[in-house]
Amino acid sequence: MDAALFEQMLLGALLALSVYLPLRCGQLSLATPGFYAVGGYVAALLSTGVPAFAGSGATSPLPALLAEMALGGALAGLIALAIGGPVLRLRGIYLAIATIALVEILRVLNLNLPFTGGAMGIFGIPQPFANAEGYVLFTLALLALACWLCQRLESLRLGRAMAAIRDDELAAACVGIDTPRTKLIAFVASAVLAGVTGALAAHFFNSWNARAGSFDASITTLAFVVFGGSRLWPGPVLGGLVLTALPELLRPVGDLRLILFGAVILLGPLFFPQGLVTAERLRWLAGLLDRGRQRGRQAPQTP
Amino acid sequence: MNPSPDGVVPVPLLQVEAVSCRFGGLLALNQVSLELEEGEIFGLIGPNGAGKTTLFNVISGLTPPSGGRCLWRGAPTTGLGASGLNRLGIARTFQNLRLFESLSVRENVLVGLHHAARAPLLGSLLASGAFRRQQGQLQERAMELLSLLELEALAEQRAGDLPYGDRRRLEIARALATAPRLLLLDEPAAGMNPAEKDDLRRLIGTIRAHFALTVLIIEHHVPLMMQLCDRLAVLNFGRRIALGSPAAVRTDPRVIEAYLGGSGGGSGARSGGAGGDGR
Repeated sequence: MDAALFEQMLLGALLALSVYLPLRCGQLSLATPGFYAVGGYVAALLSTGVPAFAGSGATSPLPALLAEMALGGALAGLIALAIGGPVLRLRGIYLAIATIALVEILRVLNLNLPFTGGAMGIFGIPQPFANAEGYVLFTLALLALACWLCQRLESLRLGRAMAAIRDDELAAACVGIDTPRTKLIAFVASAVLAGVTGALAAHFFNSWNARAGSFDASITTLAFVVFGGSRLWPGPVLGGLVLTALPELLRPVGDLRLILFGAVILLGPLFFPQGLVTAERLRWLAGLLDRGRQRGRQAPQTP
Repeated sequence: MNPSPDGVVPVPLLQVEAVSCRFGGLLALNQVSLELEEGEIFGLIGPNGAGKTTLFNVISGLTPPSGGRCLWRGAPTTGLGASGLNRLGIARTFQNLRLFESLSVRENVLVGLHHAARAPLLGSLLASGAFRRQQGQLQERAMELLSLLELEALAEQRAGDLPYGDRRRLEIARALATAPRLLLLDEPAAGMNPAEKDDLRRLIGTIRAHFALTVLIIEHHVPLMMQLCDRLAVLNFGRRIALGSPAAVRTDPRVIEAYLGGSGGGSGARSGGAGGDGR
């Protein structure tokens, strides 16, 4: 597998986690690609237009990348904070539709604002890493950090409150959980993660345009989570990795590949309605590993 | 039966002042007023559709009243919402059980301990010593509550997999975890057999003594309420038609007419069966 594809898979996993965070408290938000595009534009504009971020032109310094990721995440987070209050009053499919509208608004803005380069977008974004392997290592670290945070969430008060809201929002309010605030935190965290990922992706792809944040992308990122499973964080990570790789790996079969890709997205939920990763399957896997380890331990004792 | 502590506390714990609640053409509550004194068990009875649960929803902040207001220790609670009222000290259970079904029994109680679980973010993320100590205390507290409600053996089960009676008790445990001063119980004995109802009555007594709670309880089972409550209010078609000690309410002709269908002699299967249990 080449490093460029692997990098795209890692970016897909990060976006899947961004969709997972609001879903963890029961909020179906499709806004992730919108925030991803915003983060990308922040990085693209800064690194092509501001000398302090641009470096030597073709390459840009790593601290500049980190600063762009922080700013891209912050801008996405601020947008989420501003619109989250009213938007998160909506539930279920209505929230999904509102977030699709948000993605469209951002897309149209990105197409028409005077400084975003129109339909062509922004070109020649300088590279902080010499090759794709550099990106892969950096993105792996970022994904590990995101996964660690998601794992920590499980044992935090915030994580429990989110799970409670997912199960029964009304009952959650009745045990003293500030449900609007908790949902807003999840939505903003999702936006920040998408913005950070976008800033990194803009450098990796070398150019950035409004297609990064389209309705298609909303559906694709949602498919990551539906395919992988939305209950536990390894689900979206797996979904993001597999479904980003699949269209590329299917390239040898030619035009059939998109049909096959569609079939996988369709059959996944049909045979694994909870997604591939569920608590039961993880327990089964852990049991398998445990047995393997015990066998390994016993083996030397038996003569 | 305990004498009601009327007049011992100058400001009542909860005052319901002329609360009305209108849903379209239906006046679910019509100028209902109540006062709850600290420490009493107050019963709310009435036929189906009388507005009992609506009154609970108003008191717990789920439904804003169309008229009137509630006061907590003399201060209006208007606009606080369910989570704000819970933080003041009002916890409730639901008639049709609303557990966090995908979480374990222990986690359900831990969610109830939400406000006791406040911790600095960085310490929590890095699992600092202070955070781990606090988590230990929370787990201990959760297990205490579970053992009080005889659920400790089920702590790791998924709440959605519990049998009915255990779910009822788990909901009470979750409500108690929020450290309430006032506990609202919406038909806690629904679907229980006489022996279970007896256990429940003892349990409510234990809980009240253990936590020095005030309890407001909706229940259809009249004999249970007669034994359990210090005072009773009777609702019918959204109006409070009677208020007083169980003995006074029992003999009130309006109650007999509304609740027992006018015959006054315990007509109907429920009253008959219930009467045998209660006496």
